Amino acid sequence: MTAAIPSEPAAPTTASRRDPGSYRDPGGFVYRRDGVIFRQIDAPAIDGWEQFLASGLADRLIADGRLIRHDPASLQDAATPTARAVIRPEPIPFVSYPYEWTFGELQDAALLTLDVQLAALEAGWTLRDATAYNVQFRDGRPILIDSLSFAPHEEGAPWIAYRQFCEHFLAPLALMARRDVRLNRLLRADPDGIPLDLASTLLPWRTRLNLGLLSHLHLHARAQNRYAADDEAASTASGVRIDRQRLVGLIRNLRGTVAGLRWKPAGTEWSDYADHTSYGDAATASKTSIVRELLATTGAQTVWDLGANTGRYSRVAAEGGRRVLAFDIDPAAAERNYRQIRQEGRTDILPLVMDLANPSPGVGWASGERQSLVDRADADAVLGLALIHHLAISRNVPLWMLMDLFATLAEWAVIEFVPKDDPMVRHLLATREDVFPDYTLDGFRAAAMGRFTIVAERPIDESPRVLFLLRRR
Amino acid sequence: MPDPILAYIDPSSGSLIIQVLIASLIALPVFFRNQIARVTGLARRRGNQQTAVDDRRDPE
Repeated sequence: MTAAIPSEPAAPTTASRRDPGSYRDPGGFVYRRDGVIFRQIDAPAIDGWEQFLASGLADRLIADGRLIRHDPASLQDAATPTARAVIRPEPIPFVSYPYEWTFGELQDAALLTLDVQLAALEAGWTLRDATAYNVQFRDGRPILIDSLSFAPHEEGAPWIAYRQFCEHFLAPLALMARRDVRLNRLLRADPDGIPLDLASTLLPWRTRLNLGLLSHLHLHARAQNRYAADDEAASTASGVRIDRQRLVGLIRNLRGTVAGLRWKPAGTEWSDYADHTSYGDAATASKTSIVRELLATTGAQTVWDLGANTGRYSRVAAEGGRRVLAFDIDPAAAERNYRQIRQEGRTDILPLVMDLANPSPGVGWASGERQSLVDRADADAVLGLALIHHLAISRNVPLWMLMDLFATLAEWAVIEFVPKDDPMVRHLLATREDVFPDYTLDGFRAAAMGRFTIVAERPIDESPRVLFLLRRR
Repeated sequence: MPDPILAYIDPSSGSLIIQVLIASLIALPVFFRNQIARVTGLARRRGNQQTAVDDRRDPE
């Protein structure tokens, strides 16, 4: 009789998978089991957590939509025996990252963070971290997803997360507004935030005339360098006191600095594209009704609009209660889309800045902390309108590779073929050799059939363009 | 120092020190405004008191 063979775990499907980005905070971590997101709170954070729940602040922030809701869960659901409490946060439909947000989205996320910090201070609490990754977009608005960020504010203590806020929000926003909007891509290179000395170097000299940027960014960067790796400074810093009223003044000033950054979405690639297309009214109406009809055939609930521009067809795609991600390479087009969505109070469309020829990779520790775009694919259908000529001709991507990408992202694809005699393609080919013999209607059909069945093929009225409905094989 | 669970991220010495400096600078105009308000308020009160005394002196 062999007695000591350990038994197999009773239900292997209940294995917990720890979120690869949730490892910094010793207070707890996020994990998934059977598709459900849990969060466990360990001993170091349990007292603060229980006080936070009892404080009334948590309820207020949840009630006004600034903090993610959570349900209590059983300790039996814990990932490890160290758990002291387990919660089930409300899931976010699609996790996006700050380097994919428009200027306005990043600014709104920053303002949310500061407003939550002001509300927290008023109630005797403080945010102990302020990373941009603690914010997600849900129903069109930013929301704080890290319920464990709160700690009791110790009277006289400075804001621990001031540096992190400036590196994650202020530096990229200042660079986008005052240097070049494309610089938010630095957040991809530095997932821990843009170093302030780098931001200070890159910003135009005249930003020093802005008192907020001068103090929170330029002087802040200098102070970091001045006191870096200095034991004496460390002991000075540990004794630093600041009364709450002054701390609130500091945060309000920082808020004013962030809110004062402005960027006008003009002058980039395609923001005026809708006005420059070769479409007449009849063609637009025809395209709209075909897109509507083809998407209805798919039964899709979630649509990724690739090359969404300012979101005209994202709105068509969102009809019938579909959730839509509106991707565009142009920060100005995506920003205009976001501003309009915010103004209309829409909850169903999320604009994101994305270069499909170089989509977000896996970022951070072991390339796994922040998932690649392809790993986050959750669409039932992709919509590619006025898109493929940009990828196939401007970026030299063969049509079969485009089909591979569409088939990786979703079961259904609604794709517009834009032939070479279309004015937009003629324009793209005007300055270069035509090395695209396969870029024809037949070539498109052949490429599509490599991965899809062609379910429908519909010419657009008064236009040489053709809309295809494809279903993955 | 804050307790360790609160400070799991590196706050950076410079970032802590600069907060106090900036917060003091921001507080300066408020301080002066309050001082001016105090002085003018005092003067106004004194003026009012003077009037009150004058009133009392001249009851008829």
